[in-house]
Amino acid sequence: MASNRMDRRTFLQVTAAGAAATAVVTQTGCLKYFEKGDGSAPPPLEVATACELCPNKCSVLAVVEGGVIRKLNPNPENPKSRGMLCARGNAAVKQVYDPDRLKQPLIRAGERGEGKWRAVSWDEAFDYAAKKLSEIKQKYGPEGTLWSSTEGFQEIFFKNLGSAFGSPNIVRHPTLCLASVNLAYSATFGTVPSFDLLNAEYVIMSGANRFEAIITPDTMDLIGSAMQRKAKLIYLDPRFTVTAAKADQWFPIRPGTDMAFILAMLNVIVGEGRYDKEFVATYTTGFDKLAEHVAQYTPDWAEKETGIPARDIVHIAREFADAAPRAVYYAGRRSSWYRNDFQMRRAQAILNAVVGNWDREGGMVPNAKIAMGEYLFLPWDDPKAGRVDELDKNFPLAAKGDGVYLKLRENVLAGKPYPVKGWMVYKQDPVNAMPDQAATLRMLKGMDFVGVIDIAMSDTAWFADVVFPESTYLERTDPIEAMPGIWPAVVFRQQVVKPIHDTKPNLEIVQGLAKRLELSDYFDYTMDQWVEAQAKDLPVKEPFEYLKKHGVLGIAEPKYGGTLTPDHRFVTKSGKIELFSERLGESGYDPLPVYKPPTDPRPGEFRMVLGRKGTFTHANQTNNPWLHEFYPENSLWLNPKPAANMGIKTGDMLEVSSMAGSVKIKALVTEEIRPDCVFMLHGYGKLAKWQSLVYGVGASDAVILETAWDEVSGNAAFHETFVKVRKV
Amino acid sequence: MAEKTKKRYALVIDSRKCINCKACVVACKAENGVPVGKFRNWITEERRGTYPHLLATFDPEQCQHCQNPSCVRVCPTGASWQREDGIVLVKFDDCIGCRYCMIACPYNARYFREDEGVVDKCTFCVQRVDKGKIPACVETCPSKVRLFGDLDDPDGALAQMLMTRRYLTKKSETGNGPQLYYLL
Repeated sequence: MASNRMDRRTFLQVTAAGAAATAVVTQTGCLKYFEKGDGSAPPPLEVATACELCPNKCSVLAVVEGGVIRKLNPNPENPKSRGMLCARGNAAVKQVYDPDRLKQPLIRAGERGEGKWRAVSWDEAFDYAAKKLSEIKQKYGPEGTLWSSTEGFQEIFFKNLGSAFGSPNIVRHPTLCLASVNLAYSATFGTVPSFDLLNAEYVIMSGANRFEAIITPDTMDLIGSAMQRKAKLIYLDPRFTVTAAKADQWFPIRPGTDMAFILAMLNVIVGEGRYDKEFVATYTTGFDKLAEHVAQYTPDWAEKETGIPARDIVHIAREFADAAPRAVYYAGRRSSWYRNDFQMRRAQAILNAVVGNWDREGGMVPNAKIAMGEYLFLPWDDPKAGRVDELDKNFPLAAKGDGVYLKLRENVLAGKPYPVKGWMVYKQDPVNAMPDQAATLRMLKGMDFVGVIDIAMSDTAWFADVVFPESTYLERTDPIEAMPGIWPAVVFRQQVVKPIHDTKPNLEIVQGLAKRLELSDYFDYTMDQWVEAQAKDLPVKEPFEYLKKHGVLGIAEPKYGGTLTPDHRFVTKSGKIELFSERLGESGYDPLPVYKPPTDPRPGEFRMVLGRKGTFTHANQTNNPWLHEFYPENSLWLNPKPAANMGIKTGDMLEVSSMAGSVKIKALVTEEIRPDCVFMLHGYGKLAKWQSLVYGVGASDAVILETAWDEVSGNAAFHETFVKVRKV
Repeated sequence: MAEKTKKRYALVIDSRKCINCKACVVACKAENGVPVGKFRNWITEERRGTYPHLLATFDPEQCQHCQNPSCVRVCPTGASWQREDGIVLVKFDDCIGCRYCMIACPYNARYFREDEGVVDKCTFCVQRVDKGKIPACVETCPSKVRLFGDLDDPDGALAQMLMTRRYLTKKSETGNGPQLYYLL
């Protein structure tokens, strides 16, 4: 194996020599060449790198032949990815050789969204964008620009450019994803833990569809535990997902009532004295108030709210407490569902706390992290203006650096508290990621300037003025990333092949802009310098060389109980695990989770719910030919009962409408959803013609989702939309 | 045993662990250059029941590398052939694209490659196996549904598994002797 690997310098020389050939050889051509077994082919090269198709960052061994990526294999050295590579990870090869991808910088030649582009040089693209950004800065101040991005190893450079430019308006993905769960666990434990599904014996999941929305190592650990009958899995979801199919018990809970289920479990566990008394006394605060509070939430009451029989709730609560500490109420990841999301996650956290699963094998474990170095760059002044989403006023507890997406859009559209006229976007597609697509398009069209950095023509890029093509992850080297967890690791993404088109890594795009914005001093470093500074302190000999060879450095043996000493101070106001949170009370929120019943859809209406497939995480993945072929078009899931009432059969064309908008989509009549809910897959009905497989195919959920958010975290509430369905 | 080097490759499949994520299908596509729209392996879904009493099962399937492969028997040119280790292959240079083998295969495991005019199928990733690696579908699987190994090695993990677990084979009544063992 080792002899197949080369160091990066030699590798770059080899690939540079093969670069001309790369541009013309198609991938299939190369594969055929290989299959015929021509002995003259050079031996394949194996490069260790890290996947970018979703946030899991699995370790990959890329096999390169003649300068072309032949196959991506899982790298078993990563303790988090557990020697696997999912469908998305395998399909990343197609991302590189996708004829649809962005191949050179583009400047808009027609109206916004018309799809007329002029291919330009990098210089022209940088000059044009810098001129526009400077004009906006002069007219509206630096706060007149918005810098939005989603997580990625090179996101930091983009955020830093926005900050160095002087804008307070950096907005990141969490409020379209997991902000509420992060905030709720932080408010309780002072940190966001991981769940030890490998060793758990009892797992409850509220809508966390772990067998389709793959998270490492949780998905693999859960299937191992659950299918080897080590763990019992209780699953609540309005849909019969793969996770439901594998669960020991599935309850199609009434949407938005998960908190009632959890509070009733607490009622049983506290009322029957089944909690971990010693743990509660030593490590928590506010138990008496909790006990008093949950007395009202009886299983009989919860049955009426959730539709789950009271005897099942009692039984589950008892089993859960008996299995503790090897029992977890799993937090989930995309926790953007309902307006009460933060408080629902708080209730989960409290339930976990009282059974004493904290920092125990098979329970909830605070994340370990491998320490690494940092590149020290020149700091800039803090922005003078406040954030446009007025975070301090609207969401005092929300993560300052991430912003709140929907509030931000509302304020920008209203021009409050000041005008925002420039929008830079990195690696994100707000047109599909945010609910109410019409509002996002209005926001785009109201901008004086929109610049997008991406690898493919997203719907957002389609409405931009300048599009900067970023090299795909297999064509670039990224910063080292620390992956906190029960099995912590650091992963390194290194260049596998040279860029096959006229693209650049994000750092170089940022530097190109910085130079013209006279901000070069803040970005005066190379990727190698950055990475070497990070690698310096890693606990291994010759760390940079090690990472180049292995791509990952992981710790295989988890540690439990590090925080279980009576003098341990949790990062909360009281220094204890806060069952009752004074801080929440001071900020005007319920210090204990108070249940408020959800509204039900009116007759003839359905609640729209969202979810993922193992093949798709992000909206751009539907345009990958190796993933698209499994689900070429999305359709609207509808239970046979309402479908029969409306005379709808599978394949019928439907009009689905909400207050936000309406779409046309085919029906899929299925038993696998509650009669009062509908569901569609994300990432279809694209506006950009350069998403050729899904342009105008199916429908985009973003069109019909209405704007709603969780009041504490500002996290978008994606399950608060009621739709009308009509056969057309 | 005199013939210690003799091997008989087979797969044991634990369908209960399959989450229908398609990783094996895409890995195969990448490893073997399978065109879009064609598949060497696939996952059969079975869904039953009425809301809320539902059941769904997923079965990964591919060529069974049978003991008595009917595809090999019907091939008029000898293009379909079987190695000593049981792997059934198609010699593209000898395949005339008559597709008799596709009709003869009880598992519908073969597909026609229009671009080459030949029939293609799962090879157990011979190019990997001959280098001591495991097939791409086996390696990439998140939940490790498949176990690849040598049936003739009594101490091997695969033979051990079959000794201690109950299993079934698909369409064994055809007499083909399929070599994919599905655990019960």
